[in-house]
Amino acid sequence: MPVIELSYSRLQKLIGKVSKKQISDSLPFLGLDVESENKDLVRIEYSPNRPDYSTDYGVALGLEGLLGIKTGSVKLIIKKSKNYSILVKPTVSKIRPFVTGIIAKNGKIDDKTIKQLMTMQEDLHFGIGRKRKKSSIGIHDLDKISFPLLYTTTSKNHKFVPLNSEKELSISEIITDTQTGKDYGHLLGQFSQMPIILDANKKTVSFPPIINAAITAVTTKTKNLFVEVTGINKDDAEDMLSVVATILQSAGFNLENIQISGANNSSPKLQEKTMTVDPSLINQTLGLNLSTSKIITALKKSRLNAVFKGKNIVCTIPAYRFDIFGQMDLVEEVALGYGIQNFEPTMSPSQTIGQINPISLQLKSLNQTIIGLGFLEALNSSLSSKRVLYDMTNRDYKKIISVLDSKSQEHTILRDSILPGLIENLSRNIHESYPQKMFETGSIFNLHDSISEKINLAVISAHKDANFTEIKSVLQTILKVGFGIQIQTKTAINSIFKDGHCANIIFNGNIIGIIGEINSSIIDNYKIRVPVVGFEISLSDYILKLL
Amino acid sequence: MSQVFHDIEKKIINSLKENSIQTPETLEKSTQLSPDQIRRGIEWLKLKDLAIVDESKLSVISLGKNGLDSFEKGLPERRLLNLIKHGPRKLSDIQKELGFVFGAAIGLCKKNNLIESLSDEIILKINPSILPGEKTLEQIGTGKLSKDELNPTDLSELLKRPDFIIEDIIKNKKIRLTNSGKSLDISNISGAIDVEAEVPEIFVARTHPLKDTIDEIREIFVTLGFSEILGNMTQSSFWNFDALFTPQDHPARELQDTFFLDGISAKKIATSEQIRKVSDSHKNNWRYQWDINEARKMVLRTHTTCVTIKHLAENKPDEARIFSLGRVFRNEKVSYKHLVEFNQIEGIVVGKDANLRNLMGIQREFYKRIGITKIKFWPTFFPYTEPSLQTMVYNEKLSKWIELFGMGIFRPEVTKPLGITKPVLAWGGGIERIAMLKYDLDDVREFYNNNLRWLRSNTKCQ
Repeated sequence: MPVIELSYSRLQKLIGKVSKKQISDSLPFLGLDVESENKDLVRIEYSPNRPDYSTDYGVALGLEGLLGIKTGSVKLIIKKSKNYSILVKPTVSKIRPFVTGIIAKNGKIDDKTIKQLMTMQEDLHFGIGRKRKKSSIGIHDLDKISFPLLYTTTSKNHKFVPLNSEKELSISEIITDTQTGKDYGHLLGQFSQMPIILDANKKTVSFPPIINAAITAVTTKTKNLFVEVTGINKDDAEDMLSVVATILQSAGFNLENIQISGANNSSPKLQEKTMTVDPSLINQTLGLNLSTSKIITALKKSRLNAVFKGKNIVCTIPAYRFDIFGQMDLVEEVALGYGIQNFEPTMSPSQTIGQINPISLQLKSLNQTIIGLGFLEALNSSLSSKRVLYDMTNRDYKKIISVLDSKSQEHTILRDSILPGLIENLSRNIHESYPQKMFETGSIFNLHDSISEKINLAVISAHKDANFTEIKSVLQTILKVGFGIQIQTKTAINSIFKDGHCANIIFNGNIIGIIGEINSSIIDNYKIRVPVVGFEISLSDYILKLL
Repeated sequence: MSQVFHDIEKKIINSLKENSIQTPETLEKSTQLSPDQIRRGIEWLKLKDLAIVDESKLSVISLGKNGLDSFEKGLPERRLLNLIKHGPRKLSDIQKELGFVFGAAIGLCKKNNLIESLSDEIILKINPSILPGEKTLEQIGTGKLSKDELNPTDLSELLKRPDFIIEDIIKNKKIRLTNSGKSLDISNISGAIDVEAEVPEIFVARTHPLKDTIDEIREIFVTLGFSEILGNMTQSSFWNFDALFTPQDHPARELQDTFFLDGISAKKIATSEQIRKVSDSHKNNWRYQWDINEARKMVLRTHTTCVTIKHLAENKPDEARIFSLGRVFRNEKVSYKHLVEFNQIEGIVVGKDANLRNLMGIQREFYKRIGITKIKFWPTFFPYTEPSLQTMVYNEKLSKWIELFGMGIFRPEVTKPLGITKPVLAWGGGIERIAMLKYDLDDVREFYNNNLRWLRSNTKCQ
């Protein structure tokens, strides 16, 4: 989840008449988790479905509502203007087909505002922009640009001075030599033509979704902004624009529209939408009995507008709240506006009778039986490694189920056996006193046509007198006392065990496991200094389902 | 301090009172104890200053190979004297009869002036009734004797000869009571043992501490009327993500967060109706091209919610209380805070009257039963629930609020396509987090280290 840093004093300035404590007490009830606090600064984590909380302007809007200082929806006031237009050439259609944008004038931009806008831009790119793939934003100094603009394509030899550079670079150079080029160049990979926004004087404004031109960079001297959003889907691009427009208006800018045309593009509407919700759904879902007027107050505190019409509540939702899909989202807005702290938990009487799963029950009884024989329960990860499962135990490395791109070398392959893990556990305990007796029940995985998951039991005993007779006695007793089962052992060869000291475990003519004295080369591999004996049996197929 | 004696000690003391100086061997006989028990008993009494052990060395003499030969047939010189006592004999005959002792016999007799040689014959001069060494040879015989019991001069005669005498040094222990040992009134000593002594450490066999916590949680849910369901850890992306309204380009579905199984896709993931309706829900709400191949990719489940949603889609109950409990996976760097594999509990309530306050009530009841009473609820976000909340619980040890279970009501975008018509309350969270509080651990890896020191010593009843 994204994290941003806010300043209490800046929030107080934006909201007015509110104490620092009121703000810090309210933040969690907007769904904002306080990560850490240091005097005036507070780091909060916000949910990716609320990109408007990526700036303090957006957080201030939310707090004003929750604290009842300013309620109802934020209306975007966009002055109709004919001075600004973008023409889109059809050549962009296959690469990045849509552009949208807005003009924001007469704002005051200080260092802190620039910082907030940059965090917002980054978070939008990462979250709803899906790392700029779906949509990306460029924010420019309007006064450095001559309209009308052209959104078109160009060759990779096209040159301009990109942001954070002092000299002209070709698009090829930008992609191979600059950091943003390396990070996002792949989004344009297979195309020979590159998307580009040019101004009326053919000066480059932006090379979306990679980088802006240096000349249009926003500084503390900037007063008027041009915002463009490009993307592969018109609605997504407009969603992103609606967040930026709302934030800029809250930051004191006056908005003016841009006319966009060509190749299926059109001017953004940034319109509110309406949604009807039945008050009884709200009360039923929340377990409350709120009057319609209380519901409307709650919705307004969540910065939406609502009126009562017929038997329903009609809700007006500003464009930047595109996280609201349907009625249930409005139910949540009521819950938040009402205040989660005001909900009294209740316990409805249970109409059902609880039951432990029969498999869990059997495994629990089995555990008790094994513990009765003096064995300690161990737990290992199901996701293990080639080293533990195969290399250290001389086992055949075949038909493995591995995961992609694991961040941990010790966790790359799903185990097909429990015993190797237990032997490894012994190696970590060579300084502890003996005898060491352990067992584990757990899932193992095998790949045939599909993946099969089975429950196995493995038992291990290590001490100076450990031998086959001992472990066979243990096996025999566990199965007899645990499940009333009699087994036989028949000579077998298995790389984990010593030749001539290893047997298959047979039940009703089926091989259900293997038992023996662990091969001394494995014991040496792990530098264990005592003999080790053990067995592993499959519980799923012949044992658990018997009951 | 009261004197406490082991049975072994008492037996030894009693025997020494009757017979004041003894060897371990005589003590063995008189007490009927084993050599090892005698050894230990003597050590204990020595430490208590009740017995003294005098150690002395004893030289024991026995006959060697040539000594035994001479004991049987006489000394070499006696054998020679016997041959010639009835008249001179030829040298060659004597040599034949005496064999390998011939040289020694001639040499010794000549040296002591007992014989004379004339041309090729040997003639007797003196025939003493006893030769030096003969008495000692007779005394030792085939037995063993203390060196003190033999005449040193006579013995030295034999010691000079090769392989005649074997001399062994034997350590000899003599045990006697000290004065305080003698004054001890053994009849007054009770049968008490040293109850204050240190005893050896032994180790318990037990369930794993984390399993104890899991079992405890399982039982709480059962008593609250919930039934347990089980499911696979390997799941198709369809049930782990798509069915839960998580769009296919959502960051959680990237390799860096989720374990995808290398090259494994599910052939059959769901019914064609389920697939069609779930994909429609994605297309209409998230505006993208839903790809069935993406849904087929097998993953290690990132939550147990995939098990519950599958159960609901298959059974469509109007009323149910269900929970599932098991391992879930995240592609994380392992640290003291994070594991790649951990346990999760997940519960759901289905019913026409299920509501948010009930959901909060179940949480409050659950926490109360694991001993947590100070809780509060905060709003949060999950892709598949709306409204969504999280519980914050107050940890007295750390004196701070920590986040535990997440919860919410399944979105209609999740339930509707799968034909679930009644509201579904759902919640869940990691179990290790609760177990860490319980066992006061600050490193979550300890649960899977199988460190015997920790497993053997950890307090079971908490």
